[in-house]
Amino acid sequence: MPKSQFIDPKEARKAGQLTFEPIPVNQYSKTIEEEKKNFSKDDFLRIYHDMSLIREFETMLNLIKTTGGYKGVEYNHPGPAHLSIGQEAAAVGMAYNLTVDDFIFGSHRSHGEILAKGLSAIQKLDDSQLELVMEDFFGGVIYNIVKKNFSGDIKALAKRFLIYGTLAEIFARETGFNKGLGGSMHAFFTPFGVYPNNAIVGGSGDIAVGAALYKKVNRKPGIVVANIGDASMATGPVWEGLMFSAMDQFKQLWEGDMKGGLPIIITIMNNQYGMGGQTAGETMGYKIAARIGAGVNPEQMHAERVDGYNPLAVIDAYKRKQKILEEKKGPVLLDVLTYRYSGHSPSDASSYRTKEEIEAWEKQDCILGYEKQLIDGGIATKAELEAIKEEIDELILEMFKLSIDDEISPRMDLEKQPELIGDMMFSNESVDRMEEREPEVLMPLEENPRVKQIARKERFAFDKDGKPFSKMKQYQLRDGLFEAIIDRFYKDPTMIAYGEENRDWGGAFAVYRGLTEALPYHRLFNSPIAEAAIVGTAIGYAMCGGRVVPEIMYCDFLGRSGDEVFNQLPKWQAMSGNVLKMHVVIRVSVGSKYGAQHSQDWTSLVAHIPGLKVVFPATPYDAKGLMNAALQGTDPVIFFESQRIYDVGEMFHEGGVPEGYYEIPLGEPDIKREGKDVTILSIGATLYRALDAAKELEEKYGMSAEVIDARSLVPFNYEPVIESVKKTGRIILTSDASARGSFLNDMARNISELAFDYLDAPPVIVGSRNWITPAFELEDSFFPQPHWIIDAIHEKIVPLQGHVVKTNFTDAEQIRRNKMGV
Amino acid sequence: MAELVIMPKQGQSVESCIITEWHKKKGDKVSVGDILFAYETDKASFEEEAKVEGVLLEVFYEEGYEVPVLENVCVIGEEGEDISALLATAGAVEKKEEVDEPAVGSSHLAEDNSGKGVESQQPVDGSETAGGKKGVSPRARNIAAKEALPLDGIKGTGPKGRVIARDVEQALENRPKLTGLAKEIAREEGLNAPVEGTGPAGTVKASDLTSINPVYAGDFEIKPLSNMRKLIAKAMHASLQNSAQLTHHLGADARNVLAIRQKVKKAMEEGYPTNITINDMVCMAVIKALKKFPQANSHFLGDSMKIFNKVHLGLAVDTDRGLMVPVVKNADDLSIQGLSNQMKEVANACRTGSIDPDLLAAEAASFTVSNLGNYGVEMFTPVINLPQSAILGVNTIIPRPKDLGGGVYGFVPYMGLSLTYDHRALDGGEATRFLKQIAIELETLEIEI
Repeated sequence: MPKSQFIDPKEARKAGQLTFEPIPVNQYSKTIEEEKKNFSKDDFLRIYHDMSLIREFETMLNLIKTTGGYKGVEYNHPGPAHLSIGQEAAAVGMAYNLTVDDFIFGSHRSHGEILAKGLSAIQKLDDSQLELVMEDFFGGVIYNIVKKNFSGDIKALAKRFLIYGTLAEIFARETGFNKGLGGSMHAFFTPFGVYPNNAIVGGSGDIAVGAALYKKVNRKPGIVVANIGDASMATGPVWEGLMFSAMDQFKQLWEGDMKGGLPIIITIMNNQYGMGGQTAGETMGYKIAARIGAGVNPEQMHAERVDGYNPLAVIDAYKRKQKILEEKKGPVLLDVLTYRYSGHSPSDASSYRTKEEIEAWEKQDCILGYEKQLIDGGIATKAELEAIKEEIDELILEMFKLSIDDEISPRMDLEKQPELIGDMMFSNESVDRMEEREPEVLMPLEENPRVKQIARKERFAFDKDGKPFSKMKQYQLRDGLFEAIIDRFYKDPTMIAYGEENRDWGGAFAVYRGLTEALPYHRLFNSPIAEAAIVGTAIGYAMCGGRVVPEIMYCDFLGRSGDEVFNQLPKWQAMSGNVLKMHVVIRVSVGSKYGAQHSQDWTSLVAHIPGLKVVFPATPYDAKGLMNAALQGTDPVIFFESQRIYDVGEMFHEGGVPEGYYEIPLGEPDIKREGKDVTILSIGATLYRALDAAKELEEKYGMSAEVIDARSLVPFNYEPVIESVKKTGRIILTSDASARGSFLNDMARNISELAFDYLDAPPVIVGSRNWITPAFELEDSFFPQPHWIIDAIHEKIVPLQGHVVKTNFTDAEQIRRNKMGV
Repeated sequence: MAELVIMPKQGQSVESCIITEWHKKKGDKVSVGDILFAYETDKASFEEEAKVEGVLLEVFYEEGYEVPVLENVCVIGEEGEDISALLATAGAVEKKEEVDEPAVGSSHLAEDNSGKGVESQQPVDGSETAGGKKGVSPRARNIAAKEALPLDGIKGTGPKGRVIARDVEQALENRPKLTGLAKEIAREEGLNAPVEGTGPAGTVKASDLTSINPVYAGDFEIKPLSNMRKLIAKAMHASLQNSAQLTHHLGADARNVLAIRQKVKKAMEEGYPTNITINDMVCMAVIKALKKFPQANSHFLGDSMKIFNKVHLGLAVDTDRGLMVPVVKNADDLSIQGLSNQMKEVANACRTGSIDPDLLAAEAASFTVSNLGNYGVEMFTPVINLPQSAILGVNTIIPRPKDLGGGVYGFVPYMGLSLTYDHRALDGGEATRFLKQIAIELETLEIEI
């Protein structure tokens, strides 16, 4: 909501109409004679070669899946193989003009794109660059395999490298491009500009936009191409990605050389089917997918349908679209029409289409058609083309044999090294800045109004007599977050932050107040209200090498970014074989007061997903220290904050919150109050209610409670908790998450196992009720209250003399509630 | 030169013996022939005499300890002699599977009581005491174990009456202080502390410990079973569990045997050498009956029967250590005098503990007689000594009305006979006929005196 833009009601309410420009459909009409001036014979033949190679590669996989072998060599591949036979021209045409600086992202059906982009990169890189890439990758493991007993030139070697690395990856070999941890649907090779393909339909739709954002913000050369399917155009995240990519602010608000559109082409690899659903005519309403562009922005995303059965038409289109991006007029939407002869997967009986339809497309096959053009145009003889095919056949067979040889291409030995994958889940690095250059800021840090304001605050909540300073005087939790984040902005030039209301407003909860003054638009901006795109673009941004802090304004909105948080962010470090790092810190604010869709603590949901680090600080000291550690690390962190306590002062850390930089390691719980009779372990803002309970236990029942603040959920060091339980023999766990399936249960189980002999009673959970969160006025019946904690201790751990319970923690009630499912 | 005294091997089947009493203690002077210690197998008891002279230098097992045969029991040597070298070499040749640190041959006194034999009596073990509804928290259990505090009788104040840490702590406060040693011994041996000890300020010393439960103070004492008791228990239980036994009772006119007994008594006054008892006569009658019913002179082996040609008669003997059943081999070869003498001999050997253990095996006898008549028992159901097929219980003689003929009834002495037989081996008809035969043999028994 920039003040610079005036929304004039007179203008806004004026009558008028929208007009659209015609969207070109299959307009390419050049003859082969005309193209001869654009392509040499070698170029023509290379296009033929690349398409034929992809065809043979996919045919091989199809034969393995359907007949259990290829050319007499038996092999069983139980994993997936979504083949693109028929789509070769679309892939090769796309890759033809791209350089290694141009990144492509793909789908589950992207073998062809990987190979096409790889072959294109091999063509463009010089020998020494190629050799360096191969030598460097995983210490030359793949290079050494394909080099052995081979005497050809570097480009030929690189071709072997590309085919072998892809195939070994598909066959889950440790010698694959991603150590066999990605597989068919996730294979990629970043040194050739091939970025992750994605097994979730439309998964690349927002991630690729983030990659384009990275290129733009960090002034990196090249463009980004998102190859997604026609059926993915119905998914929310793809639509969110489109909206994000077409934000007006790029062209209207971003300043200087940053002004202008994102360098991205969203390519609809339109094979006309989404599994068995026929997009045009059945499952979608666009008739021609390029129409979508008209609904996105006034430029209609420069949308166009291209005949994807003619490689020259595709090349021509990309050439024109790349020029648009160079002029900073992106984003671009390209509808590349194609057709797959093979089913969705080899198990697909194609019951949704006729034989006649498949045969009709096969008659117009992109390779046969191109072959005819080459022969008719006098560019190559049948024999020359046959020779190319023979060479390909030989190469594919050899690489196939190499990739299935268990000696040469072993799988990970998880029996001998059972923690191999475990060790890859997190990168656990400590990095000050992702790039060495001067961060772009608008003023020296010390001149920042917020910094000046904080300087006047009391960094410890109490004066020397133990009396609290006024709220306004106290250095608050939000100040701790601010200090850590602005520090990183001034350290790491790649660091950006965005989300809803991040700029101008300073975040809905005033964490970012002062950042707008400090940072240019391209480092801090408002996103559309599109959580999938907020997280998805951050993933793409980090994948390319940038550090990013996306914000989810309410925890309840996490569901809107479900796929990004559950399927993308946590997976890519391990699934890439540790090629990628995922330095994304998602700030998630847990609400209250606003009812059922604005008050949920979903820490348990993300803690369940392997590959995410999860923290939830409750004090200014912890918030700053943990944020610093999260921003120094290289792993995805879901950073929970509570709206109940943004204004809380530091009551625990002696001397108050340090002004300088410090880190609190993720995973270390902290004792906030020492005691000897019972341990209370809390997560997040519940800490303060736990402390109230501890106070009451002391005053009324003479029981001294030790209160431990978990601070982190993943990772988590149980040792201090076990030590405490050894001392007290009793533990009660509490958080604002609904009790059923809460992470507290996981902690309770671990404590039961690790401290069983020391326990005087089973660990007891006090979570929120398994209800909707009611209105603020009724919240005390929903969220854990101090007296709930005491009641639970009385009922389940140690009866307290004279205690009268207000809540029902009896066994009978526990059974009844579970029977009812509430 | 010091000498090791080992636990002798008594009989082929004996693997270990229990030391029942030490007649000498460490430091005592011993002469050749002095009794060092008494010990028993599961079937008999013995005394070990000193074979060399000297001083008892070391004792490895206390009374009540079960010692594998051929294991070192003690050392006799000269006063002040260093026996460590001897112990080391002894260890090298011996099989000492369960000896912990410190080295071989060292004392097996208190610290070795952690074996499973004691486990069941450990009152500290909450699983015993907490049984039923009331639970004990792991923490409470551990504190109690550490402090050697029995959990029984502790009232649980936790949820649902669970015994929790504070209950144990409370109980500890009410208990007198224990010395470190007392705590350790109590924990190891499952002993209890009295309300007040004899140490300063009532501190409980190791010597104050008892195995008596304070709640039922002095009411009982838990004693480990002797080997023999264990064996009897096992055999009797097995017999009732593993066979199909039932008992027939039948009376025999005892006028004949009583008359013979009178004759014997009279003859003895005139110098007759053998005191032929009624029991001897019953046994003679049994032997005769068995010869006519070989099916009863047998072992039942599950899928076959072992029918004996000779009669090996088992005789139940009551001794201080419990029931023993020695056998008189080839009893059918003996005259009534021979039988009488041999039976007295084996019974005596049992009572003095000098019986050959091999004669006590159930397998050694083909049939057993158990006579409770002396004690006035009128009827009982003896338990078969498996694998034997039957056992005869002999009851007291009581007068019973009998038709003396011609409508005249008179009181006649009758001896009750109770035959328990394994229905798997014998059927009711045969068993009855066999039992009746014993009665007939008794009624018609003739003895030359």
